[in-house]
Amino acid sequence: MARDFSIRARCRNFGWPRDRGTPEIRGPTAGAKRRLIDRAVGKLLFLGALAAIVAVFFIIIFLLRDGYQIVLETGLWNFLAGTEWNPTGRNPAYGVFPLITGTLLVMALAMVIAVPLSIGSAVFIAEIASPRMKSVIKPAIELLAGIPSVVYGFFGLILLTDWIRVTFDQPSGSSWLAGSILLAIMSIPTITSVAEDAISSVPREFKEGSLALGATHWQTIRRVIVPGALSGISAAIILGMGRAIGETMAVLMVTGNAAVIPDPIYDVFSPVRTLTGTLGIEMGEVAFGSTHYHALFGVAVVLLFITLAINSLARVIITRIQGTQGVRSTPPRRVKAAIQRSTPYRAITGAASRIAHAVSAPLRGLVHPRTSQRGAFLLISLSVAIVIAALGVILFEIVVNGAGAITWEFLTGSPRDLGRAGGIFPAIVGTFYLVGGALAVALPLGIATAIYLIEYTADTALTRSIRTAVDLLNGTPSIVFGLFGFAFLVLFLGFGVSLIAGQITLGLMILPTIIRTTEEALRSVPGSLREGSYALGATKWQTTWRVVLPPAIPGILTGAILSIGRAAGETAPIMFTAAIFSTRFLPSSLTEPVMALPYHLFVLTTTVPGAATQSYGTAFVLLILVLAIYLAAILVRRRYSQAKVM
Amino acid sequence: MAGKGLSNMAAVAVIGTLVALLMIAGCLGSEGDSATSPSQQITVTGSTTVLPIAERAKEAFEANDASAEIMVSGGGSSVGVKAAGEGTADIGMSSRDLKSAETTGYPGLVKHHIADDAILLAVNPANSVESLTLDEIRGIYNGTYTNWNQVGGSDQQIVVVGRDSASGTREFFSEFVMDEEDFVRTQEEFNSNGGIQQKVSQTPGAIGYVGLGYTEGVKPLALNVDGTDVRPTLQNITSGTYPISRPLYMLTNGEPEGLAQRYIDFILSAEGQEIVASEDYIPVQG
Repeated sequence: MARDFSIRARCRNFGWPRDRGTPEIRGPTAGAKRRLIDRAVGKLLFLGALAAIVAVFFIIIFLLRDGYQIVLETGLWNFLAGTEWNPTGRNPAYGVFPLITGTLLVMALAMVIAVPLSIGSAVFIAEIASPRMKSVIKPAIELLAGIPSVVYGFFGLILLTDWIRVTFDQPSGSSWLAGSILLAIMSIPTITSVAEDAISSVPREFKEGSLALGATHWQTIRRVIVPGALSGISAAIILGMGRAIGETMAVLMVTGNAAVIPDPIYDVFSPVRTLTGTLGIEMGEVAFGSTHYHALFGVAVVLLFITLAINSLARVIITRIQGTQGVRSTPPRRVKAAIQRSTPYRAITGAASRIAHAVSAPLRGLVHPRTSQRGAFLLISLSVAIVIAALGVILFEIVVNGAGAITWEFLTGSPRDLGRAGGIFPAIVGTFYLVGGALAVALPLGIATAIYLIEYTADTALTRSIRTAVDLLNGTPSIVFGLFGFAFLVLFLGFGVSLIAGQITLGLMILPTIIRTTEEALRSVPGSLREGSYALGATKWQTTWRVVLPPAIPGILTGAILSIGRAAGETAPIMFTAAIFSTRFLPSSLTEPVMALPYHLFVLTTTVPGAATQSYGTAFVLLILVLAIYLAAILVRRRYSQAKVM
Repeated sequence: MAGKGLSNMAAVAVIGTLVALLMIAGCLGSEGDSATSPSQQITVTGSTTVLPIAERAKEAFEANDASAEIMVSGGGSSVGVKAAGEGTADIGMSSRDLKSAETTGYPGLVKHHIADDAILLAVNPANSVESLTLDEIRGIYNGTYTNWNQVGGSDQQIVVVGRDSASGTREFFSEFVMDEEDFVRTQEEFNSNGGIQQKVSQTPGAIGYVGLGYTEGVKPLALNVDGTDVRPTLQNITSGTYPISRPLYMLTNGEPEGLAQRYIDFILSAEGQEIVASEDYIPVQG
């Protein structure tokens, strides 16, 4: 039969319009089969995307399930506001107020230390540094993020507390100050990178306009760029706060763990105890089902709520600031508008701004703008120098002391004599197994969620809840993941302390990172590519698989690598779910417990006397491993960002 | 500045190495001497005081029996009791006696008395104090005394160091020395004997309680009992003159079988008790 080239025939060939009542019996056309696959894949991706919500749901349920009894036993007010935490005394007391205070105080001082240093560093990297300096300092600060928290705790225990004790002539160095210094160092990379991103993305026109009007560089930074990046900077600070609140291992090792409220309240050398420290130090040893056990889960719930509150605060602040900048205007509420129009409000704000103006006036006249610029830049360079110096000191200490412990036997042997002799090979392998398993859990679910959110749906209530759940998971402290893994996987599902329990727990922990980075990667694929593909007749899944995913692979890879780094270094999630102190053999099945480098370091440092060399050696190996992974991520990112044609 | 940064080859090399390492770890069997997987495995968990004995005994045992695998972990006496009772571990270690709730909750638990231990009061070697009475110790730990010059030392603030709340050592100390009074709220808590030892050795004004095996870098105090200073020597402890001593147990659910039985029998044998003594614990008589 001659081929029909009419338009009608061509449309029919293409599969449009659909044959509804054709008497001919034909099999499904290629188009119909493709659509079937498309729909099936869409449903699968939808199921995968629900994983985040399901995970959050389960975490909250299990924490509450084991925690609500404490409220029944002691009453909510006594639990939250009780000033004594003494679960094993003659008259047990379960008041978490000192713990909440400890957490907030440690975080507050950490932010006071970290925020100026980070904003200074961010400004330095974004505005002042030369491209060559930038290419060295930016990865250096990101490497600081890669150092595992137990290594920080180790460094703090061995060096920082003693230094504080000697320098400030205090009886003991384990204190609020030690905890805050460590937390500050640990949150600086987070705050710096996000703030630096925000500052870099202020439109060039703002800066150029300001300079054209004759302002100095510093005046531009201070009055145009930083205010312009304020929403990003606030987000950075809030993220840093979240990081500080959720940190367990480092504070556990250096704050002294005394459940007191410092007296007077500003006594930074007083020992304190945080919510996370309480969970870390008591969870592994509590009798299952006892009141103490329920109290600890209550502590976890309180911690989760505080994290939730900070997350929501972050989002509120960001939307508000974006609103005032005119990026997205939220119509003011009637009452609020009325207040803002009222005379007292206008008088107060007018007076405030006039006072601020007047106070700075004499200074303004006194100092030439160029001098104040030089002074400001000096301070900023100082802040970067302090941050880099902190990194240098930590790395130096560990490398110098740890390199000596590295022998072939150390790397390939099993631990002997409580870890004081022999090697750490089972721990190295255990870490690899844990990380591999965590990736196997998180990558499919994470990529599926991201693809579903970006490609398959618009902004609906469901996607908003998925995003909220992901945010929540992201902000959840690692010790809470550990507790959830313990309550759900080890006890409820009966896996026992096992490799699989650790892998699932770690997988849940890195899931938000994978989702977020994959989303970013998918979003950065130009829409025109997708449209071109659809125009050529491809289905959604074909487009996603063949057109959208390939250019997004580098971003996904970066996210995966960063997650590997994080999973390899975490102690809290595996402490109760997978780790044991010593075993001679490698795990032969998923249901056996494993050794892991971070946990091994933790036990060596806090439990085994006379194991200093081995501790340093383990810290060294762990550091090298994690830093190598982070370096790989940075290199991959740099290579692909330079190869991109923009 | 050069354009591409890293070449294709280098990027592939970096990633390839990581993947290769992962695969090697998976394919490689156990280390050196034994390539077979263990024929028998037991888990031993619990008190960090008993942990050194269990570890050293495990090494000696495994040196004779290449196919046995004994997995040891810490966690505290409460963990040991619960794990043995629930069956999540084969042997639980405990540095204190069972509480009544535990004996009713886990009626099948069998106690094996494997060693004795004494609790030492350790101070920093620079501290001039040599002995204290039990009342003074209690006064320090409940906050009555805050300066060393109140108990015969120099003018220095006392830094009180103790164990975390579920430790068997702390439990014993609380029952025996404190008469179950509350500890002072500013007490710094550590999760192991080793942690306390490290803290006390680093901090001039510190005092802490540790087991016998943790005396490196710290100075154990003598106890002033009715006017005489009793030093914590082996003789004083076994004769009972030094008052703060306690039995150490390994617990099993029912009578132990198989590898667990062999392991416990090994610890109770002459060779095992030699290990106990070498770790600075007191061997059990007979």
